[in-house]
Amino acid sequence: MSQQSSNCGKCGICLSVCPVFAALKEEENSPRARVQLIKAFREGKLTSSALLKELMAKCLMCGSCTAACPSGIDHFEQFMETRADLIEKEGDLLEIRGLVFLLAKEYRLGLAAGMAKAGQAVLPEFLQKKIKVANISVDRFPNLNTKPFRSTVPEIIEPEGKVQGTVVYFTGCATNYIFAENGQATVKLLSALGYRVVIPKNQKCCSIPMLFHGGIQQAKDNLMTNVECLSGHNAEAVIVDCPTCGSALKKEFPQVIRKYGEDATKADKIAAKVTDIMQFINNRRDKLEELIQQGGKAKNDIITYHTPCHLRNSFISAEPMLRKLEAINFKPASDANSCCGGGGTFFYEYPAIATKMAETKAENAKRTGANIWLTDCPMCQMNLEGRLKPEDGIKMMHPVLYLSSLL
Amino acid sequence: MLSKTAKEQLIAITGKDRFSDAVEILTCYSYDSFLEEAMPEAVLFPVSTKEVSEILQVASAHKIPVTARGAGTSVCGAPIAVNQGIVLCFTKMDKIIEINTPDRYAIVQPGVINGELQRALAPEGFFFPPDPGSMNFSTIGGNVALNAGGPRCLKYGVTVDYVLSMEVVLASGEVIRFGSRNIKDVTGYKLSALFCGSEGTLGIITELTLRVVPCPETAQTLMVTFDELDNTAKSVSDIIGSGILPVAIELVDKVGMNALENALHQDLPTEAAGTLLIEVDGIKESCEREIEKITDILKKNHAVSIIKATEEADRNRLWAARRAAYGVFAKIAPDILSEDVTVPVSKVPEMVRSINSTIGKYKLKGGVLAHAGDGNMHPFICADRNDKEEWAKVEAAFKEIFTDAAALHGTLSGEHGIGLAKTQFLPLVMDEASRKFLTTIKRAVDPDNILNPGKLV
Repeated sequence: MSQQSSNCGKCGICLSVCPVFAALKEEENSPRARVQLIKAFREGKLTSSALLKELMAKCLMCGSCTAACPSGIDHFEQFMETRADLIEKEGDLLEIRGLVFLLAKEYRLGLAAGMAKAGQAVLPEFLQKKIKVANISVDRFPNLNTKPFRSTVPEIIEPEGKVQGTVVYFTGCATNYIFAENGQATVKLLSALGYRVVIPKNQKCCSIPMLFHGGIQQAKDNLMTNVECLSGHNAEAVIVDCPTCGSALKKEFPQVIRKYGEDATKADKIAAKVTDIMQFINNRRDKLEELIQQGGKAKNDIITYHTPCHLRNSFISAEPMLRKLEAINFKPASDANSCCGGGGTFFYEYPAIATKMAETKAENAKRTGANIWLTDCPMCQMNLEGRLKPEDGIKMMHPVLYLSSLL
Repeated sequence: MLSKTAKEQLIAITGKDRFSDAVEILTCYSYDSFLEEAMPEAVLFPVSTKEVSEILQVASAHKIPVTARGAGTSVCGAPIAVNQGIVLCFTKMDKIIEINTPDRYAIVQPGVINGELQRALAPEGFFFPPDPGSMNFSTIGGNVALNAGGPRCLKYGVTVDYVLSMEVVLASGEVIRFGSRNIKDVTGYKLSALFCGSEGTLGIITELTLRVVPCPETAQTLMVTFDELDNTAKSVSDIIGSGILPVAIELVDKVGMNALENALHQDLPTEAAGTLLIEVDGIKESCEREIEKITDILKKNHAVSIIKATEEADRNRLWAARRAAYGVFAKIAPDILSEDVTVPVSKVPEMVRSINSTIGKYKLKGGVLAHAGDGNMHPFICADRNDKEEWAKVEAAFKEIFTDAAALHGTLSGEHGIGLAKTQFLPLVMDEASRKFLTTIKRAVDPDNILNPGKLV
């Protein structure tokens, strides 16, 4: 078992970046406390308890503490292991257990999405407003895809004109089951930039939700299958449109695969190639500006943006790019970089805290006067959208969706 | 264990939500950024002066120790409840009550984070000068209780210089107020100077009126490297001796710089024997003149490289690196002990030499950082407390460092406070009659010794 927590200098820097601590102002809900609690638990000073499990779970797993930690603590690894131990002893919310079960097998997820889709269609509108999932009423939830995105596209998509190179696209569950339009937009942009897009059919859930909730062993199938199908293809990058899937491929895959005792060479190679779609486009920004100009579809929208924690901590925020793009009218929000509280299943487990955080963000987004609010993470989008009312006149979407509409 | 009656009376004040005696929660209030840990019997989160007063009435009736706590980032163990009892945690009493820049003051509750106050002042073109390394996460209440310093205190002075007025709850629960909104105020004893730095042993601060000052027009930062630590230190005393008053002069030795670079990857000068971070502020033209004069002095002291950072982003990067200094040492060894002996600035070269020879003599991993312009040294040693033999050497080395500083007319603590770390060394700098006077004051205001017992006196 890793004993890194003994090297926490207890300096407290993590208190200044932890979104949960900022909302609650209680040491027990801070990364420093979790590291100290894990140490006490490992040393036998604390025994497993429902309260200890709750303290470990009240975390967004956003990774901001790890990014800021001068002592080099890997919070995620420690929290993940301890959560697995505690969930084994104390159990988990029934709904969350269901989620782990669904995600462990891709076809079950497809099936559940189909059922949910049916439910959404038959619920009368007035009931939809009354029924809430966590803190968000059902009518604010996005509709599910009629068909999973990956079943609607070929495995290899050739670009128009000269081929610049090949990329592999890891779509993630959100694009596959909920936001098919993000998948179409990503493909459209990559094709326009001259890239051949490979979308391996047998890719699976990245498994981050499972790892958060103690399903380390259940995740093994998914991880190994993903590594196999994403490898090779002569690809210069593995593209992700979801920052959480991206951070899993970049950080957790090699680490967890080593933990299984398996060879992580391929996982390391993938980790080195993982690129966020916006970062990929940003490196070809001149070409994009040219394409937008040719398209002549530039609009009068006012755009603002929310940086997802996993994007900031594992890649780079898309904000600098949006600022620089001449084709759009960008108005930054004062708190564009702060967490929305939607991390993982946090908004489901701790709706009151997540609501408080998201409401502040929505207020500041409105203040910019924007009518389009961009963000890269599907969970952030759902969490923030839940705090918007139709009369606010703000539409949320992934930046690729907006950019592709300009072509 | 708290008696059932005491517990019921306390819960009646805060409600169940802001009281806890669960072992998991108490564990989180058993530490700060120092080494010693101790479990309290209960933690309470007051949100008003009235609640604090009522809690103190219960505590004094039952003679329960009360230890005030802000963010728990003290580096001397000040908020550790060594005699158990209650921890009063102020993180939820965190309102900025008023900012009045025409009259140059701000009124805050003790749980406001120093950095939050700075962010609230910045749009008005003002700032609150005390800038401890922990400024982005430590509370103003904690800063005042420990009379915190920081790099720019060289030019601007320390926390006590910015406290205009206080509201304090005494051990009995009685609420007193002293000072006013005026910089000039000789109405009565200057009690803010007594309570500031009293580490929660005399009363519990519940509101503060602070002096705020306008931001300077501009600031310029130099990063200077040397191939001898002696020249580095001598440059510091020469600059101050020449009559220039920079905002800050930070000294980092090779061990410190390498620890920073290993953690932060900022392309820092790891080859240099010593590095100085010098900042001047004020009107642009005067900054330029001062930088010229400073550069001459640096060259005379054989500086190897002098890099100017004028861009805000570059300056912020350098200062962020300096502020991370405490945490990065945890990478070297499980435990870190960093003290803050302070000497007159002309003695800086001598003190740096003596710190290095002491650490060398005991063959320990450590070095020196310093807010060198005001003689505030940060000798640090990284070691493993479980290694009894090594830790005995650490303690012996610090004893020598304290003794050497005292011999140079220095003092034990420039900005961290005494807490649990340095009580035993007080005789080095205070004679018996002076120490007894501290006890006389303590007994007069807290006869039952319930306020943070085990510290300072």
